[in-house]
Amino acid sequence: MHRYKRPLIALTALALLSACGGGATAAGDGGDEGTPVKGGTLRLAFWDDQQGCIDPNQVYWIESRSLNRQFADSLTDQDPETGKIVPWLATSWKINDDATKYTFELRDDVTFSDGTAFDAAAVKTAFDATHDLGAKSLLGLTYTAGYKSSKVIDDHTVEVDFDTPNAAFLQATSTTTLSILSPKTYEQTPEERCTGENLVGTGAFTLDSYTAATEAHLTRRDDYAWPSQLVKNQGAAYLDAIEVSYIKEDSVRVGSLTSGSVDIAWPRLPISEADQKVIEATGASVESRSLPGISSSYFPNVTEGRVLADEKVRQALQKAIDRKSYASTIFWADYPVVTGPFDSTTPYSTDGSAALAHDLEGAKKLLDEAGWSAGADGYRTKDGKTLTLTIPVRDTTPGDQLVQDQLKQAGFRVELKVLTLAQYQAAAAGGEYDLLGTYYTRADPSVLGSVLDQAVSQAGTAQLSQAGATADEISGLFRAGLEATDDGKRSGAYADLQQEILEQGVMFPLYERVQTAGISAKVHGFAWTSEAFLRANDIWVDQ
Amino acid sequence: MTTSRSSGGRRLHPTVRYVAGRVAQAVVVLWAVYTVTFGILYLLPSDPVSLQLAAANVQVDELSPAELAAAKAQYGLDRPLSTQYFDHLGGLLHGDFGRSISLHRPVGELLAERLPSTLALGATAIALALLLGGGLAYLAAYVRPGRLKLALNRLPAVGVSLPPFFVGLLLVQVFAFELGWFPPTGTEGFSSLVLPAVTMALPTAAMLAQVLTRSLDDQLAEPYVTTAAARGLSRQYVQARHALRNAVLPALTLLGLLLGATVTEAVVAETVFSRQGVGQMAQQAVLAQDVPLVQAIVVVAATAFVLINLVIDLVYPLFDPRITHTPRVS
Repeated sequence: MHRYKRPLIALTALALLSACGGGATAAGDGGDEGTPVKGGTLRLAFWDDQQGCIDPNQVYWIESRSLNRQFADSLTDQDPETGKIVPWLATSWKINDDATKYTFELRDDVTFSDGTAFDAAAVKTAFDATHDLGAKSLLGLTYTAGYKSSKVIDDHTVEVDFDTPNAAFLQATSTTTLSILSPKTYEQTPEERCTGENLVGTGAFTLDSYTAATEAHLTRRDDYAWPSQLVKNQGAAYLDAIEVSYIKEDSVRVGSLTSGSVDIAWPRLPISEADQKVIEATGASVESRSLPGISSSYFPNVTEGRVLADEKVRQALQKAIDRKSYASTIFWADYPVVTGPFDSTTPYSTDGSAALAHDLEGAKKLLDEAGWSAGADGYRTKDGKTLTLTIPVRDTTPGDQLVQDQLKQAGFRVELKVLTLAQYQAAAAGGEYDLLGTYYTRADPSVLGSVLDQAVSQAGTAQLSQAGATADEISGLFRAGLEATDDGKRSGAYADLQQEILEQGVMFPLYERVQTAGISAKVHGFAWTSEAFLRANDIWVDQ
Repeated sequence: MTTSRSSGGRRLHPTVRYVAGRVAQAVVVLWAVYTVTFGILYLLPSDPVSLQLAAANVQVDELSPAELAAAKAQYGLDRPLSTQYFDHLGGLLHGDFGRSISLHRPVGELLAERLPSTLALGATAIALALLLGGGLAYLAAYVRPGRLKLALNRLPAVGVSLPPFFVGLLLVQVFAFELGWFPPTGTEGFSSLVLPAVTMALPTAAMLAQVLTRSLDDQLAEPYVTTAAARGLSRQYVQARHALRNAVLPALTLLGLLLGATVTEAVVAETVFSRQGVGQMAQQAVLAQDVPLVQAIVVVAATAFVLINLVIDLVYPLFDPRITHTPRVS
């Protein structure tokens, strides 16, 4: 059910500076012009806050995760350029050969903003509590898959044990989801933590107030001295404070940026080409990064009797989608074209463009072979049945309509079924679809397992998208990816997985997801985290 | 008009009786509203339990049966529907609105936080609508037939047909971004109230003006106006003192309905201007299928509607003494 939430999760990505940074002043990516000035408030406008929760351990909403990063630190950090995991609150770590035992050495100079010392016991409390959230933490559930317990070895050494291998856990320790909060924070119920009162971390800022979907206020922590090596400013942040508002209307958010009432406009969908021009005309710039994780894709229902049960039809579908024209039509001319199951910023993602190339003639040929013959109205039929694909949607977007048109060229009739949230969930859970769209943000390929691996996920996208030998093979490759601590083995498993998925038509990637942000000319030192969230340590503003 | 029947003390004063009757009616209306809302939310084509767990941010398809049972118990969703119905209802009667599932906080607290902003917005919008609509109608009736009158008579039709969403965006663009006179978003201070209030007031004002212009024109064509004019009273005096009083009744009835529409208009205005009020919360609550929150908002809105219309009914006799609240005798 609620595949719909997965779409909401996604958000983050790589530097398309050439595409949409335009010639504007380099506000982002280091922003090393001039000498940083201390002081000032950064006014940040997000799109929305539908989850209404700010507890890092429970949050899946990507805008909230951008705030989490400012007040909550993690054991490790991930390099946005290389995907490599680097020390942060942990100085070093050891992983046993089957990825079931992680031992972290911790910094001894870190304190929570309530004065409590950061130590091994605090890490244990945080990991136990996050795992205990169970289904309340969509992300925590997969990040701590197989979690058994944490052991305090000494004050500054903690061991994390798993029942089943979890090679993706190291990357998980770099995420906001596995942020370490003060032990006192965990004395509250999960619901209380959601409201943001007494949420205490070790971050460069502290969360002063948070009202769901309304506002948030963060102030600098003056004694902060433990950022990861990925941050230039190794001391306290430059900004006095960060003020967050939520503006649902795109035009109002962009207007607020260009009229100077906010400093950063942070939407969910990419800022349109027209709005980018408006923003750049005022001297502001647009930063962007592809969101790592599952690209925005369709997942098939291959149940016996459905048209996509036939492998040839799936292959024809793969060839009938014109991803290049999708990217340039729905977004803009240089928008990155999706190259596989993962967005390009995901570690271990491989280039599957060849398998995803648009080949209309090839698609038609495959459909002919599968026995679907072209009818008078352009749609193919077989035994009196029309080649129809049902896609449930919440509302029809220009993208949906473009796909509908593209597939018509090959003879598919696409039925976009507009459903309310409740109906959508029911359709997704009951398999009343041929294609279902979803995406998911995490800078590790294991994320796809929660959507596609029949062995671990009960979701329709996992249970209905593959059958028989393909399903076994895919589950095997996911398992191999989680068992391999060796980089070469991991990348091998995930490369095979991506190839298998595209060849068997288990996933139909549609577009790469790009996070954009409009940045005022007075903002310097803007930086993305690996998962395309905000990193404010280096930001300073002209006074 | 009522003194002769107040003897004996056994009969209540008719006005009191009238009000008591209306209050009783209001209670029935509110109960019906609550019940219908409850029914709709639970009869949607899906599993209400899963929906509410989803609103509470619990991933239902990842739960084992035992975990699902535990989660249901935590949110009280394992109880029979009738128990939930009466528990919610009992809570409401005690002023306990329950806890919002999606926002993790008591509903009463959320309403207390957001109602003031929406009330201020609604009141400002209505005041503005009365001023604009009433003023326009009065002016349109006062000017002599000609092009100006024609223009003034046509103006409300323009106002009625403008979509508030579009008007809101236009106002932000011009008065916030271009001229910088008012803040584009936010809930701080009176200046942030102006643009959303204008957005909400325009359609209401236009509708009021339409009705009032029409009935003023009708009244001015009545023989008593000619009589008054023949007695040497000025046109201005006749319109203000005689015609307006009679013309205002249909407008008053309409106003009651328009006030009820404020809640809907607030959804649009609060979305465009990013105001955190009840309207926006209502929209979010419906989308999230947050049953306790939706219930509370609907009941509050219905109470406001019922109260406003009661007040308007009580105000009628002030304008037209022929209307009394004496119960009809068969």
